[in-house]
Amino acid sequence: MEAEAETCHPRPRRSLALSLWTAMMVVALILGNALLAKPSLADEIMTPRKQVPSAFSGWLDEDVGPFPGVVAPEGTYEGKDVEQPIEFPHDLHTATNKINCLYCHTYARRSAVAGIPPTSKCMGCHSIIATDRPRIKQLTEYWDKGQSPPWKKVHDLPDYVRFTHERHLKKFLFDNPDMTVERVDEVCALCHGDVTKMTVAKKQKPLTMGFCTRCHQANGGTFDCQKCHK
Amino acid sequence: MSKSEFDRRDFLKVMGVSGVAATVAGCDMPSYITSEEGAEEVIPYLSPEEYVIPGVGVWYASTCLQCPAGCGIRGRVREGRVLKLEGNPTMSLNSGKLCQMGQSALQSHYNPDRLTTPLMRKDGALAEATWEDALALMEEKTGPSSGISGHRFAWYTGSVSGHQNVLLKAHLEAMGSSNHFVHEVINTRVWQAVCKEMLGQSMPTLRIDKAGLVLSFGADFLGTWMSPIQFSAQYAAFRSGDERGMLIQAEPSMSLTGANADLWVAVRPGTEGIMALGLANVLIHKERMDASVLPPETQELIARYNVSITSRITGIAGDRLIRIARHLKNRSPSLVLAGGPAAGHTTGFEAVQAAMMLNILLGNVGETIEANADFAFPQLAALGGGTTDLNRFAHAAGSGQLDALFFDGSNPLFGAPDHMNLNEKFDAIPFKVAFSTFMDETTARADVVLPIASAIEDWGTHVAAYQNEQHEIAFQQPLMEPIHPLTRSFGDLLLALNAMRSPGTYDEIDDYYGYLQSALGAIPGVLKGEDAAEDDPLDIQLWNQILQDGRLEVPAETSLFTTSVSIKDITSPPTDEAFPYYLVPTPRSSLYDGRHANLPWLQEAPDQISKVVWTSWAEIHPVTASKLGLEEGDLIRITSASGVLEVPVYIFKGIHTDVVCVPMGQGHTEYGRYAKGRGVNPLKILDPGEDTRTGELALYGTRVGLAAAGRAGRMVKMGNTESQHGRKIVATITAEQQRRNEGES
Ligand code: SF4
Repeated sequence: MEAEAETCHPRPRRSLALSLWTAMMVVALILGNALLAKPSLADEIMTPRKQVPSAFSGWLDEDVGPFPGVVAPEGTYEGKDVEQPIEFPHDLHTATNKINCLYCHTYARRSAVAGIPPTSKCMGCHSIIATDRPRIKQLTEYWDKGQSPPWKKVHDLPDYVRFTHERHLKKFLFDNPDMTVERVDEVCALCHGDVTKMTVAKKQKPLTMGFCTRCHQANGGTFDCQKCHK
Repeated sequence: MSKSEFDRRDFLKVMGVSGVAATVAGCDMPSYITSEEGAEEVIPYLSPEEYVIPGVGVWYASTCLQCPAGCGIRGRVREGRVLKLEGNPTMSLNSGKLCQMGQSALQSHYNPDRLTTPLMRKDGALAEATWEDALALMEEKTGPSSGISGHRFAWYTGSVSGHQNVLLKAHLEAMGSSNHFVHEVINTRVWQAVCKEMLGQSMPTLRIDKAGLVLSFGADFLGTWMSPIQFSAQYAAFRSGDERGMLIQAEPSMSLTGANADLWVAVRPGTEGIMALGLANVLIHKERMDASVLPPETQELIARYNVSITSRITGIAGDRLIRIARHLKNRSPSLVLAGGPAAGHTTGFEAVQAAMMLNILLGNVGETIEANADFAFPQLAALGGGTTDLNRFAHAAGSGQLDALFFDGSNPLFGAPDHMNLNEKFDAIPFKVAFSTFMDETTARADVVLPIASAIEDWGTHVAAYQNEQHEIAFQQPLMEPIHPLTRSFGDLLLALNAMRSPGTYDEIDDYYGYLQSALGAIPGVLKGEDAAEDDPLDIQLWNQILQDGRLEVPAETSLFTTSVSIKDITSPPTDEAFPYYLVPTPRSSLYDGRHANLPWLQEAPDQISKVVWTSWAEIHPVTASKLGLEEGDLIRITSASGVLEVPVYIFKGIHTDVVCVPMGQGHTEYGRYAKGRGVNPLKILDPGEDTRTGELALYGTRVGLAAAGRAGRMVKMGNTESQHGRKIVATITAEQQRRNEGES
């Protein structure tokens, strides 16, 4: 469906997308940043959106998002500091050591869930790397007891929502000719914020229905109710 | 949605502590739901298997043990939990289909009332015990030094087949006993006995799909009779061929199959055989069919049942009999089946014989009834249960012939009529061990209770009693690890018992899984090449293929029919002033014989006929209701010579006016929170009586008196009206139009 729409009506789609994008920016400016920063769930759901015509589905040709081929979803969120059993430094792994997100969250490309890495994966490195650090000693203690650390969930959606990491990575990364897998952190950042600058992960995007639908509208995602609420 | 991954073992440990409710709901731990940050834990696998991807289900093949039909299943497993069952498309028995009872096996597995620890009777009550103590007591009472031997020891099971049967037999042999009672309330033993006598083989292949007309005397082949899933597929083909097949069902109260029939005939209970003789009479004397296939005595017997006599005895109008006979002749090949109520009388054998005689007269044998083969491995073949064994057991227990009893997969104290006094007889057996998953009526009276794995957690091989032309062994494999760490595999226990009695025999074998592998390895050409030496290693790829398919094809060499007809006259039930009505305790494809009463999905599923949920009801005809002054939901008192029941009535026309039908399944006094104290058990008030040829209980031969109890009952029913209120939800025609279609003027 999407591919068909793209080949048949490329130009009208792009111009409509751009005008919608402009319109959204205007609305955003008028309403002000505060509203977007702390939206209530009701506001999010009620955010006006037009029915997306079928021609409007597919990729933008220009670099209007944070990376080629995507319009970033609107909205930010001031998440809580979550106390984890071990204070896991995302920045150290991703920014300093340049480990790809998908190395640890390996299921994201194959499943609905990204998956917390199995403890065996942590130990794959940390049975030899940084074994003298306090946090690694903590981890090793769990491992020796045959347990995984009881991590706290930071990002979650209600059970009536079916979100799939696999589908989103396919669209934004693997089917996107202008992206490379090395830049996957930019794709993750759309919903998880810039993890390369965090230690323990913190929720930075509202992950509400409004947030999802704005992104779907801007990027030609589905508006079929039962795709997400099945 | 789930974002958590668990180490399977860790997960199961957690589940053991926190109960099963969260698992049933399919949500993550903890069981409350929030998307708040930091509120829920998300515990990763410690060290996952290569193929495990959280959030992605994997399907594994196994076998359905919810009824003896033995269909193949596939279970979707995700994060170590089985979430959904479907039919296994590679099984020729059910080709990918599964009934609602099969679907509900999940609830049996995740049921909060599962037995989780061994129990031993102390000071009169069952108390938690260790496996060591339980097995030590079993060794003391039944081990080599116990002094027990011979027929004073017995096994009591439901239908059993495959390697479980081999090990049961080995244990009995080691004990020196041949006492194996195999109990199944819903069975086809009478049909099998008739087929054996008249065709020379007990389980011929039935081809509903090849028939132009099916006439079924009470055989609910779409619901509970023999192999309902396979027959449903055949039925679909039968109905959708170039010429739509015609289904005629004759029975005292409407079954699921009856509800699908083109013509449903209310027949007086116990006269189905006479109806068959009457039809033969019309075929021979009015339709001029060649009767030379029947011996002269049979022809003479048939000649006695002319239309008016048959009509008087069966209560079926003469012109209707004539029309049915005409259809039988014109829509050849037809297929005549008989079971359930037709077989459940003291003259059940003769009634089924008369039905089979019709098949022979109509030339159906060889057309819609095809010759089959004996199962190539007789030691694995199904040991189908019956009620004869219940009777035999009651007698053995009552006369003090048993010192020790092991039982598994059967609940005789629920299925036994009160007149047998089985509770007392059972209690008199000095040592009774239950191998159970639930605290049912029989388990509650055992001296030792061993909690066994659910069907979804265990290994096994199964051979369905009814095989089509493609014979197969169905494989049962665990779809997940045991929820409760103290439960044990039934196969492992059988091995342990055998090792106890015959030390050394199974030394080489670690567990039942290993036993199955080596047992199959011993069959040439299955897990090794045809010419392999005994100690050649098993081809593990072949083993994996079998597990992936969930089945192993077995060659079947068809043997020829040896037809013989020698049928006896059928005495119709006498009139009874004190008990003018007949009690018909039909099974339904939901609670079945009561074994599924602890599964809320099936309690909640509206009955196929009455749409009642969660309780018992009595079906009566509107004429009977008005005679008794009853309205729907009123309590009716049903009195037999053996007991009384009170139950709300459901009034509808799909029942003979002399009949009250109370479906079996409810009326449990034990069996967990969903079953206990709900409805009534019609089996309890059955009168003594058995089929004179097979010894099967005459389940449908009980006479009762009916009266209004004078109170309203409580009965919840879906769709509270029988009328469509003019909305044409289902297209209907008038009875008059239907009669015209049938050829009536
Ligand atoms: S017919 Fe019996 S074996 Fe087959 S799916 Fe239903 S319950 Fe299971």
